[in-house]
This record gives sequence, C-alpha cells and structure tokens, in this order.
Amino acid sequence: MITVKAGGLVAPWIEWEKRCTDGRRLLEAGTYALTEGAIAAGCRVFAGYPITPATDIAEYMSKRLPQVGGYYVQCEDELAGMHACAGASLGGLKAMTATSGPGYTLMHDAYGWSITNEIPLVVVDAMRVGPISGITGAPGQGEFYIARYASHGGNFETIVVSPSSVQEAFWLTIDAFNLSERFRTPVTILTDQVISDMWEDLFIPADYDGLDFVRPRKHNLMMPFYPVGDASIDVPPNVIGHGTGVCVSAYTHTEEGYDIEEMEAQWAQTYRLVNKIRHHKDELARYETFGLDDAEVVAVAYGANARTVKTGVLEARRRGVKAGFVRLVTLWPFLDELFERDCRFVVCELNYDGQLVREVQRAAPHKKDVHFMGKSAELHTVSEVAAGLDGVARSNRLPELPYIWTEVR
Amino acid sequence: MNKLAAKYLRPSQIPTKACHGCGIGMIENWLLQAIDELGLKQEDVIFGTGIGCVGRQTFATWGGDNFGATHGRALAVATGLKLAQPDKKYLIVVGDGDAASIGTSHLIHAARRNLGVTVICEDNMGYESTGGQFSPTTPAGYVTNSSPYGMVEPGFDPCDVVKAAGATFVAETTATQWHQTVKIVKKALQNDGFSFVHVRFPCNENFGAYALGTRDTLKNLEWIYEHTQGRKADGSETDFTWETGIKHDASNSRPEFSRLLRDMNARVKADMEAKRRP
Ligand SMILES: Cc1ncc(C[n+]2csc(CCOP(=O)(O)OP(=O)(O)O)c2C)c(N)n1
Ligand code: SF4
Ligand SMILES: [Mg+2]
Repeated sequence: MITVKAGGLVAPWIEWEKRCTDGRRLLEAGTYALTEGAIAAGCRVFAGYPITPATDIAEYMSKRLPQVGGYYVQCEDELAGMHACAGASLGGLKAMTATSGPGYTLMHDAYGWSITNEIPLVVVDAMRVGPISGITGAPGQGEFYIARYASHGGNFETIVVSPSSVQEAFWLTIDAFNLSERFRTPVTILTDQVISDMWEDLFIPADYDGLDFVRPRKHNLMMPFYPVGDASIDVPPNVIGHGTGVCVSAYTHTEEGYDIEEMEAQWAQTYRLVNKIRHHKDELARYETFGLDDAEVVAVAYGANARTVKTGVLEARRRGVKAGFVRLVTLWPFLDELFERDCRFVVCELNYDGQLVREVQRAAPHKKDVHFMGKSAELHTVSEVAAGLDGVARSNRLPELPYIWTEVR
Repeated sequence: MNKLAAKYLRPSQIPTKACHGCGIGMIENWLLQAIDELGLKQEDVIFGTGIGCVGRQTFATWGGDNFGATHGRALAVATGLKLAQPDKKYLIVVGDGDAASIGTSHLIHAARRNLGVTVICEDNMGYESTGGQFSPTTPAGYVTNSSPYGMVEPGFDPCDVVKAAGATFVAETTATQWHQTVKIVKKALQNDGFSFVHVRFPCNENFGAYALGTRDTLKNLEWIYEHTQGRKADGSETDFTWETGIKHDASNSRPEFSRLLRDMNARVKADMEAKRRP
C-alpha cells in the first residue's frame, strides 16, 4: 500500500536535483535527454533498429557510447536488438534499446525472456499514433496495456514509467536503470512523439562519475541464481562469464536455473516474478498531483498530454471549478491508491479506444464517476480540458466536443 | 558417465530426456572431445542453445555457464553477450529450425559481422520437438508430418548461406563421421570469428519413422552415411549426395566483431585525448 501525498511531485529525482548543482544548462530534445540519462546511469550497450520517433536516440547513442567505451549495435531488427541487450546485460553491461510501437511489439519475445531470467535493462517506447504504422510524426498513447503485458504467458508484473518533460526524461532514465537493477527486470520508459521530438531546457550534471544516486551493476556470484518463492528485491543480477555456472533459459526454472516441468516450481517462480513487484509497490510510486484536497473533479493524464491537461485544470479552477490533477509517472504497477477517493475523474489520453480510463474505472470507488476524454494524434487543448472538467463538475457528464471521444464500454 | 562427461558436464542434468538412440548426446560428446583436445576449461566456454530437441536436450548439461534462448534467438543474445565477455569461446548449439528458419536473419548477420562464436547446427532435417514437420533442410520429396505428400518446397544449404554472408569458417559433417567432426569443431573453435559447423544427424522418432520408415538408429545412421558417399550398401546410387568436410576456411583472416568495436573505441578515445591537449 502506498501513502498518497497530495500536492506536488513524488519522485526520487527531486532529491537528486538538489544535490546536483554543478552542471550545464542546455536546450535539447527529449531523445537527447533519454540518451544522456542512459549514459549517466552507466548504460554501455545500445542495440536496436531505427524508427521514428526514437531514431535520434540510436544516432546519439552511436556517437556517445564509443566516447565512454560502450557499444552501439545496429541490429537486423528489434527482435535482435532487445535480445542483444539482454545478452549484454547478462554479460555484466547495462543496456538499453529504443523503439516505437512497431518495434516494441517485435521485442516481446526478448521481453519475456528478460523477465523470466530477471535481466535488468531499459526499453524506450516513443509512442506514435496507430494502429500499426499510423502517422509517424504524431503522438499516441496506444501501448499502455501492451507495456503492461509486454510478453505472453502471464504470471509476471512489469514496471512502466512515463516522463512528461525533457528534463524529466533525463532523470527518469536514470531512475529506470536503477529500478531495473533493483528489481532485476526490464523497465519500459513509455514516452511519446511529443516528448521525444520536443526541445526544452535541460540541466545535466557536469560529472556522471560522481553521481551517488546511480546504482552500480553488482553481480550475483552464488547460487541461488533465482530466489524462487521469494519476493525480495535488491538481489544482484546474474552474470554470465564469471564461472558461476549460471543457467538462463526460456523455461520454468529451479533456483539453479534448470528447466523443470513441475507445478511447484511453476508456482514458486510465479510467486517471485509477480510479488517482487507487487510487494514493493511503494518503492515504485512516482506521480504528480495538485488540488486533491478540495477537488470535486480530478483530471488524469500522463506523458506529453499531461502538460496541456495540467494547464486545463488550472483554467478550470480559474473558472471556479473545484478541479484537481493526477499525472501518473509510474503507469505499471498501477497506482490504485491515487484513485481511491470520493470524487469524479476525467481521464484524458491519446487514443479513442480507452486504455488508462479502464484502470481508473477499476480503481475508483464508482465507475459512473469516471469519464473518458479520448483524443487521437493530437494533444488535448486547454479549453477542451477545462470544458470537460466544468461539465463533469456540474452534471457528472462530459459536454460534446469535436474530436473528443467519450464512450468506453 | 564417461571421462569427458565427468570432466565437463553437470551430473544432475544427464542423462537428458532425449529419445533412446538420439544423436544429440553423441554429438555433444564429440564437442567435449574437441574442447578437451584444445585444452579448454569449463569457464572458458559459454554454451548457448535455442529451442527444440537440440536446445532442450543440451541446455544446462554443460558444466559452465549456459543460456537457452527463445526459438531462433541464440545468436541475437550472443551478439550482445560477446561485447561484455569478448574473451570467452562460444558454442552455440542449435537446430535446423533455430538456425535455418526462425533465426536465419540473426545467422546471416552474425556471419556478416564475423561475430566470434562457433555455431553447431545440429540438423535433423525437420522440426522434431514439435513432432516432425519439414524444415528448410528437409530433402525434396521426403514425407514428414506436414509434408504427407512429400516435401515440395525447395530447401537450402545453410553452409552456402553463411558463406555468402561472410562466415570465416564453414564446414559440413554428419553424425556418422566422428573423427572428422572433432577435427572440424577444433578448427572452428580456433577461428576468432564466425564459425559454422553443420552436423546432420537422424531423428529416429520422427524423421526416421516418417521419412525413412524406421526408428532403428543404425538404419537411420546408415541412410545418412550412404548420402555422404553417394552410394548405398547395395552399390546403387543415392537420390542425392552431401559433400562433407571443410567448405570454407578463412579463419582469423578478418577482425572479429567485438574487436572491431573495441578498436573503434580506442580510436575515438585517442582522438578525444588529442583534442583535449593544448
Ligand atoms: C516462436 C516459436 N514458434 C514456435 C515454437 C514451437 N517450436 C518449438 S521447437 C520448434 C522446432 C524446432 O526445430 P529445430 O530447431 O530444428 O529443433 P529440433 O527439435 O528439430 O531439434 C518449434 C516450431 C516455439 N517454441 N517458439
Ligand atoms: S524427437 Fe528426434 S531429435 Fe528429438 S530427442 Fe527424439 S530422436 Fe532426438
Ligand atoms: Mg530440427
């Protein structure tokens, strides 16, 4: 159970920012921030396949990694990209890949393999509007559920986070690497075309070597390689090449990593993969709120879209609506606690099918009080959000607005 | 347990669950002989596999570090692992489905990059762990569980594919050629680059039963042997012939993949330092 703090941002980098005073102020793109965040976090391998709007991450990486003794591998496809990252991480190097929806779905084979083998690595998915290729230069939020279920077979939890500014993309990338090390699992940074391509103020620390909040890679040099039936975190990741005799595979495994076809082993493995995340949800909560103390209606958003939604909430308050704001940074595990309050919700997301809204409907006390403002390929405008909040505050109904879909069944 | 198995394998993981008379265990023994003759230790070799009988029946038998990738992806994993652990020898033991079908793109690009691994493609001419369907290496006309009227698709020779892609060592052998196989695997492991060893062996349970009409190990081995000779025991010609032996040996003739990247990094570092100097 997490304790919900009403007001402001809840995230580890608030402290980091205070400690980092020596650095440079730049005007840079989100892709640059994601790349530099990774380098600062100690990432030494990038393996992937270019795709808009994540291509610039690959290009930046090809330049930056050799400068720090790391390796850029332009793979034959995303299947290879994420598997190569998993291989590098198994060999002891921190690794990242970056893609968009079409590549993200190709990575699911490697994603599941990394989950089951508890391999830390970071995947950036810069979402564009779909389905499939959609419009390459327009933002989307279509992979909310795909990121949760980034592999088949069930019996696992995933960690998914989403930045909403260029600066946050930098800190959150370091955070994602730390989480992947602590939880021994891949972490997805679910960002979007706007945040990737957008140029903004960016502070980066002068010296990456001295960052005490970056979690260094440790090696597990002893059996058990897989503490099955045990939900503990901060277990050092396994390493290939240090003579430990570790076994890594796609199968249900014993604590030695041997393949096994027994129910007890299946249950013990599932217990670990699910509960190492569920039991430590409080360590994973990152979010921003304001106005919750007196809010009658709360707007909910994440990513780039949260920027205009936030201004929409301020505009609604100016008009006298008791409006509040929730921006999710941690998307998965889903922070139910934020929605366990007696008020109305307006969920703004960049798809017409309704994804985030379904989780809010599930978590909130009354489904009828949860409203959907879906938009496709374009951010919500401030006036749309303000009008939506106003309508819901007055009559618990959304007004009809062009380009906004409201139905979720 | 024989001496080599005792020296290199994990007692708890053998015998495997492979069918009685399957060639997978025998070939693994030959790999151990090559490793032993080269004086390699457990910790010198990383053992990678895919999915299928070849993958499952060898995974975790090796006493050192093992990885069993998903179907076809062993070389993709090895591409990243090699960057982190460049000094190890890699034995990537995979099936014909892994190497010549679902994972062919990784095979081609690992060969192109001259990734420093030795691929042992144990080819039983079909997808045997799923019950015996044809694969890109099933000979023309042969009956499998998904080619009940005979294999009509043309196949390909994986050796030709990897050679064209740039592999620096390519050889073909079979489960009937013990000494030749050991010799080839030793040479393959001595190449600091991409080595591909294609080893045909009979699956008695499926390919033997459906394509050749027998589950008898010796008869199936004999069928393979005849096809390496082009002649049957009765002196008549076989329907086709496999040329075995070393197909291409350009061992150590061009830099290994991870070395290329390390050399580039050294160049970048030197340039950066030169620029920093006043
Ligand atoms: C992505 C995926 N597709 C299909 C399968 C099912 N499958 C498992 S092994 C196999 C074929 C294996 O053939 P091969 O690589 O030749 O190995 P063999 O069993 O013949 O040794 C298939 C199709 C799978 N495990 N994964
Ligand atoms: S099915 Fe064929 S290849 Fe698989 S273990 Fe049995 S004999 Fe060997
Ligand atoms: Mg096969």
